[in-house]
Amino acid sequence: MPHDLVIVGAGPAALSAALYTSREDIDTVLFEKGAIGGLAAVTDWVDNYPGFEKGVAGLELSEQMRKQAERFGAKIELGEVQKIEDQGKLKKLTTTEGDIYAKAVLIATGSEYKKIGVPGEEEYYARGVHYCATCDGAFYRDKKLVVIGGGNSAAQESIFLTKFASHIDMLVRSSLKASDVLIKELAKHKDKITIHLNTTTDEIVGQDGKVTKVVGTDKNSAQKVEFPTDGVFVFVGLLPNTKFIQGSGIELDERGFIKTDIHLMTKVPGIFVAGDVRSGATLQIASATGEGATAALMIREYLETQERGPLPQAVVGHPQLYG
Amino acid sequence: MPKNITIYTTNTCSYCPMVKQYLKRKGLSYDEVNLEKHPEMQAEVFEKSGALTVPVTIVTKQDDSQDVVIGYNLARLAPAIA
Repeated sequence: MPHDLVIVGAGPAALSAALYTSREDIDTVLFEKGAIGGLAAVTDWVDNYPGFEKGVAGLELSEQMRKQAERFGAKIELGEVQKIEDQGKLKKLTTTEGDIYAKAVLIATGSEYKKIGVPGEEEYYARGVHYCATCDGAFYRDKKLVVIGGGNSAAQESIFLTKFASHIDMLVRSSLKASDVLIKELAKHKDKITIHLNTTTDEIVGQDGKVTKVVGTDKNSAQKVEFPTDGVFVFVGLLPNTKFIQGSGIELDERGFIKTDIHLMTKVPGIFVAGDVRSGATLQIASATGEGATAALMIREYLETQERGPLPQAVVGHPQLYG
Repeated sequence: MPKNITIYTTNTCSYCPMVKQYLKRKGLSYDEVNLEKHPEMQAEVFEKSGALTVPVTIVTKQDDSQDVVIGYNLARLAPAIA
């Protein structure tokens, strides 16, 4: 028996869509291979999601979204979707839990933190080089750290890491790209965080299986610079999670994000996209939840059209007339 | 059915609840060791896993052999508990 809707992912866009569809009795199943809540769940603190005057922990926000979607009947399966195949009215999804079929699919797989691609990064992965401060920060109590990156994530996670580390060197390739609020917050931690602008990261060096220093270049002086450290956290941008759509006919843009039309539908009818993985997404939790809701309404429209056939041209584009 | 499962966690780790939830859904019980409450265990876990990260799940099988699963990695965790 096919599901009405399978959502790939369980981050903010996915949970928002699931809330809308399950509330309208659309049989909705989500598949998540990582953390429910996606990157939001591994973000220490979220200050710019509406409705939380003092901000909210990323994990707490994710939990609330999960519970709200489940309250209306959305089911979350812990497993990985490995392949999507368009079979016309039905879509076949190959998953670690077996094959499943759906009338519509929403891809909301988000993105993951990019690797920086310097020598030493792979060698010391999870043994001194990390991508999740909330997961691994606690191992660096009273130790020195290097954070690589200058965007919102790098700033936010550096501030979080001051709970543990004795000192943090933040290496920023050009200028800080974080929000003004976070830049002000960083300034409040100047006793613990030293920001090195125009500084590239060239190599992560270790000895006896442990990271000992990061070697970079000060672009102003073109001189090599070294930062002794016990660990490195990398936050240099995001990479879309799209590996499983290879061969499905879904189109990607030049950066690997999924292209959609204005209804958030891909080139393959019945397969929709919302959130960070969509080409043109603004990579914010608030916009992801908005896109999730929009996608849900478009999916409802699609499912109804599949059931009863297209409406006369005059009313197409005015869903409120028959919604 | 494994003989014993131990999950090593920290207070802020987001993937740790996912491992616990997965095992619960499979009807398996486990012991949890919070490495922030028991920092003396960190070196031992690092020695077993080779990774300074959590969650680390150690599955002890009936023949006392062990599988060490780093992170919330269903591709490794599912066969380990089978």
